[in-house]
Amino acid sequence: MPDGVRLSPSARRASRSGEPRSLGRFAHLAYGVLGAVLVLGLWQAAAASGRFGSGLPSVLETLSALAGLLGTAAFWSELGATIGIAAIGLAVSSVIGVVFGVLAGRFPLVRSATLAVTEFLKPIPPIVVLPLAVMIWGPTQQMAIFLVIVGCALAIAIQTIAGVEDVDPVALSTARSYGIGTAESLWRIVLPSSLPFIGTAMRIAAPASLVVTVVAGLLGGSPGLGRSIYLAQSAGEVANMYALVVVLGVLGVAAQGISSAAERRLLHWHPSFRKTGS
Amino acid sequence: MSTLGTRTGTTSPRPGELLLKVDGLAKSYTSKGKRTDIIGNLTFSVNAGEVVCLVGPSGVGKTTLLKCLAGLHPSTGGEMSIDGRRIYSPPPEMALVFQDYSRSLMPWLTVEKNLRLPLRHLRLPQSEVRTRILDALAAVGLSHAAKQYPWELSGGMQQRVAIARALAYRPEILIMDEPFASVDAQTRFDLEDLVLKIRDDYGMTVLLVTHDIDEAVYLSDRIVAIGLRPAVVLEELTVDLPLPRNQLDTRALPRFAELRNHTLSLIQHASAKPTPSAMEDAVPGAAGAPA
Amino acid sequence: MNTRKIISVAVGVLVPIALLAWWYLASAGSLNPFFPPLRDIVVRFKELWLFDHFATDVLPSLGNLFVGFAIAVILGVALGFAMATVPVLNAMLSPVVQFLRGIPPVALIPILITLVGFGNEMRVASIVIAAMFPTMLSTIDGIRSVEPGLKDVGAVYRFSRGDRLLRVYLPSSLPQIVSGMQVSLQVAFIVMIASEMLGSSQGIGAMTLLAQQSFMSADMWAGILLLGLIGFLTNILFDLVKNRVLSWYVSSKRLERAA
Repeated sequence: MPDGVRLSPSARRASRSGEPRSLGRFAHLAYGVLGAVLVLGLWQAAAASGRFGSGLPSVLETLSALAGLLGTAAFWSELGATIGIAAIGLAVSSVIGVVFGVLAGRFPLVRSATLAVTEFLKPIPPIVVLPLAVMIWGPTQQMAIFLVIVGCALAIAIQTIAGVEDVDPVALSTARSYGIGTAESLWRIVLPSSLPFIGTAMRIAAPASLVVTVVAGLLGGSPGLGRSIYLAQSAGEVANMYALVVVLGVLGVAAQGISSAAERRLLHWHPSFRKTGS
Repeated sequence: MSTLGTRTGTTSPRPGELLLKVDGLAKSYTSKGKRTDIIGNLTFSVNAGEVVCLVGPSGVGKTTLLKCLAGLHPSTGGEMSIDGRRIYSPPPEMALVFQDYSRSLMPWLTVEKNLRLPLRHLRLPQSEVRTRILDALAAVGLSHAAKQYPWELSGGMQQRVAIARALAYRPEILIMDEPFASVDAQTRFDLEDLVLKIRDDYGMTVLLVTHDIDEAVYLSDRIVAIGLRPAVVLEELTVDLPLPRNQLDTRALPRFAELRNHTLSLIQHASAKPTPSAMEDAVPGAAGAPA
Repeated sequence: MNTRKIISVAVGVLVPIALLAWWYLASAGSLNPFFPPLRDIVVRFKELWLFDHFATDVLPSLGNLFVGFAIAVILGVALGFAMATVPVLNAMLSPVVQFLRGIPPVALIPILITLVGFGNEMRVASIVIAAMFPTMLSTIDGIRSVEPGLKDVGAVYRFSRGDRLLRVYLPSSLPQIVSGMQVSLQVAFIVMIASEMLGSSQGIGAMTLLAQQSFMSADMWAGILLLGLIGFLTNILFDLVKNRVLSWYVSSKRLERAA
């Protein structure tokens, strides 16, 4: 752009004809609040209409159920169990994923030996093996952790492989010419330069680990909020169930926010960060 | 000489008559309460059948000017008209060739379909559409590439496709924004000659924006030199080089060198002292250009 | 170089075969309740799915999957288009969307059960709601990243509004939309299974969970195998369609990389 017309992005957008004008910050916020109020209003109206009978509690009932839940120790221990399972599963997944990813990315033979299996397993979600996990471990924490690993490790490994394959070959041959051994070059060159890819994988895997934990609780009966929802539903405590789903929504948004903030914070220094930033 | 005719419906001006008029055009942005003037007070005109080049240093706001002209950006002052009608939105008599050819062609369409797309809403008979496309591709020397995708072609060829798209649209005025800025020198010469050929064959009026002074002198009937920010007209000069022109002989003429040096000194002088207060004294003709 | 390539292909083919053979041999005569002989699993697979329960369980599952996915994609693209092109709508809905997106898709199923019961509508509705979000969000992304130059072309050449939407915005954002659709398909598959596992007696998911609960491990394995195959094959099918529809995109990216 030789005509270096520097404009703020919003000015640029607003000025392009045929394009809807963008809203100001305040208007955006106001409309957002309006939208939320509208949705809550719709919910309230639907509940008041009685069309769904006891299946749909009012907004107020849900909020008071939520307040009630927040006062119980059981809720907090289930919340803790959910986060704990997701975190342990994620940690184990990242170790497995990164170790395997570095090996498969660096050694073509490992890659080709495992390619068929990983390609087959890639599109298969952990819920498919849930019955097996429940059969072996029962409705336990181990079962849920296992499912989180099934759900996250492969995705992390695949990203890591992409990262390793992206490593500058000149850096590697330089290392070799200086007599740096394989293990050391893996640790000092390959791993650091594939960090942005691993970071991206973790950003996606963190919310996914929560989702899998909920699935394990809801369908497999492992401890956590998923199980709480199942119990609330089968006991007919509808307002509690809605309140728990709201909690999960908040938790999910928080997980997404925290993991992207962490990725930015931890990897902003990396020269190739922009490449994976999406 | 307009054998292929122009757009139907309007009574288009004959060669030499006023086609495009820009009168006191101004453009400023307000961002965070601070006003930035991009275009001061710009007045010039283009007659039918002319090739006019707007020349100015980089960063002068030439692209903004063109976007106002094309009705893509609203101006903040002055008025523009084409065929005597004021421009508020993209006028039907106008086609634009953008600087960045790779971003102005639809990558999911073949060359032929790229040319066909703007013709859709004109509701022409199929035979007419086909003739226009074949003609336009022949005019830019790309008859063989009709079935290829733009990204399979070189940069120069892509810009030819963009020009062909404009030709098939049959505008009265073809506006080009630094069209040859990102191609190599040889291709650039070829494309410049293509512009002159189009003018001759189609009787097309061309308004071209460039920062390359040699290019401006070589192509133009008239040059409008624009000075630094906010953009104002420094001087208009008639290029009295003989027609037809060619890259070797025309560029070797002593008059070519004179015009070139004169324009260059105008531009250099203008870029040397960007006047922040230019807005106030930016009355046409009062831009204090050294003659 | 060439021999290395041959070796890698050979390893790539032989290792999975060896794994399957090892599974078959090692599990033969197995009395482990969790890992029955592969032979038994294959036999049960044939007995159950080919074609005893095909019409009663497999087809309804697949039908729900594709109907739910199709509706989700249509809604997702339409809503995405609306949100990306109408700023007011975007401002109003984006907080709500952000929140709903945070809810694990499977957690919506109990809500839908209380609202519409255990029927088939519940299953399709769950799939639609959960699978809509990825397509919708990627559509918004895709339309926001339409090349400004192409928008200018549309304006200068006075494209009609329909042409702008269908012939500029849609094709230009198709790569993003399609990759969102792929995620939607995976979500739809998960929710299909989960909706069957939660209090239903019909469908592959229900049968697989039922087999587990009654400790018929060969049946359970047969179900897992079938679900795995469906997940794998739908994804392959999607890839094939994707590469066809986006052939211009795939080839131009390849050319770009080669340059």
